[in-house]
Amino acid sequence: MIKINNLTKHYQAAQGKVEAINGLNLEVNDGEIFGMIGPSGAGKSTLIRMLNLLEKPTSGSITINGTDLTALSSQNLRAARQKIGMIFQHFNLLSSRTVLENVAFPLEIAGVRKKKRLKKAADLIELVGLADRIDHYPSQLSGGQKQRVGIARALANEPDLLLSDEATSSLDPESTRAILELLARIREKMNLTIILITHEMGVIKDICDRVAVLEAGKIIETGSVIELFSRPKQSLTKKFISSVIDFNIPSRVAKYMKAEKRGELIRVSFVGEKSHDPYISHLVKHYSVDANILYGNIDEIQGVPFGTLILGLEGELDKIEESTAYLKSQGLAVEVLDNV
Amino acid sequence: MFETIMGLSRYNNLMWSGFLETMYMVGMALLFAIIGGIPLGVMTTITRPNHILPNKFINFILDGIINIGRSIPFIILMVAVIPLTRLIVGTSIGTTAAIVPLSLAAIPFMGRITDNAILEIDQGVIESAQSMGASPFQLVFKVLLPESLPAIILGLTLTAISLVSYSAMAGAVGGGGLGDIAIRYGYQRFQLAIMLETIVILVVVVQLIQYFGNKIAGLFDHRS
Repeated sequence: MIKINNLTKHYQAAQGKVEAINGLNLEVNDGEIFGMIGPSGAGKSTLIRMLNLLEKPTSGSITINGTDLTALSSQNLRAARQKIGMIFQHFNLLSSRTVLENVAFPLEIAGVRKKKRLKKAADLIELVGLADRIDHYPSQLSGGQKQRVGIARALANEPDLLLSDEATSSLDPESTRAILELLARIREKMNLTIILITHEMGVIKDICDRVAVLEAGKIIETGSVIELFSRPKQSLTKKFISSVIDFNIPSRVAKYMKAEKRGELIRVSFVGEKSHDPYISHLVKHYSVDANILYGNIDEIQGVPFGTLILGLEGELDKIEESTAYLKSQGLAVEVLDNV
Repeated sequence: MFETIMGLSRYNNLMWSGFLETMYMVGMALLFAIIGGIPLGVMTTITRPNHILPNKFINFILDGIINIGRSIPFIILMVAVIPLTRLIVGTSIGTTAAIVPLSLAAIPFMGRITDNAILEIDQGVIESAQSMGASPFQLVFKVLLPESLPAIILGLTLTAISLVSYSAMAGAVGGGGLGDIAIRYGYQRFQLAIMLETIVILVVVVQLIQYFGNKIAGLFDHRS
């Protein structure tokens, strides 16, 4: 269990005092993949770098399995860091070492004997699927391959926690998917807790269990990924979601609905079993409104079906209100769209 | 002209001993540059603000030593350190005595080159090792030095070439070597052929140093 308590980070920059993180509280459960998303400058990078004290907090505490990292001596901190793996956007491999030597490096730091560490490193390289590149140098690898080396290296000391600092941000979509799959797989296999930061909502949607949205050094919204996708509260969260699920209604349709005052545009989100039930036909039958389906999408977020519909409801206004009330009463998230 | 060139063979022994003296001076000074300059450079870099062991005071002192050492023209340094040379070698004249000022010039030079080479390493690479729990000692010997080794080797090459040229000035205080021959025979006795021969040898020596320096640096360079 990771507990972050009242964490702040202030520093002096040329432009004046910067408050990168402002009194942040967070709990991350064991075995969870926890995502943090935010626009650049929100403090994500500062936050994740504080979790292994690469960046020293101004105040507050970071407790991992009962140990407060901020209270450790530098020697104990080094020992604690061996149990926290980290992967980076730019991989940060040693150019002077081969794949095998890079993966064995953290073991070398931990004082593991040569024979043992090379064996362990070779096994990890096998795990991440790079057995045929074991004697290559980083410069001979693609970005995705470098990140695999980074992951193998981060796992060498069998950490309890893996920190991912924008690990897929400089990869192409295909490598991104492969790396995310690998992370999900090793979480299962090694019972690892993963905390990742990203600015890509797709990463959150693909592998995270829970997510926190960061803005200006604070968490503005947090919850399970399904919750967040189906009932986003903050406009920033909505903006991030719309980057992976496109809600935009073709402008001609929107114009038509508005101009003729034909009714309302609503967005309905279905989660889980609800996506199987025939609400729309019920609506049409019992509330005498016409439902015009303008957009529909069913997706799956970690095995849970998740659907979105944008409906144009035509009919008398009170009927429209009744029908939206009905949808809400069925536990669906309904949002009236007026500024399309 | 042909006669003059043929006559040069009379000076073969002289040239050979001059060459050996130059190599001896350059080689020893280079050795001291490695022993003194590389640690000096490493200490300077790591005590910089935001590096692995920031220390304003030590950094100020070491950076100052490098700058002062680098700002004294060699010919002046050579004369200025005569008392020190006497103290160490027992005399201020001769090839061995010349090694003292040559080393004193090479150490800060190599210090700055090492400093720059280490600064070239991506901060992220250092941080990744820190995130694994590496101690400052491990960072220096397992990250900073191995990662900057190609640049340090090229720097040593550069230092060696500078030392070849400085060693010619050492000839002026009885240091011997090829530069000394060029001045005494070529300049003071108007033996142009000898002057030219020493130049040719020096050019070849410098080319060879650069060639092997590049080759060796390439062996350790896996960046591309």
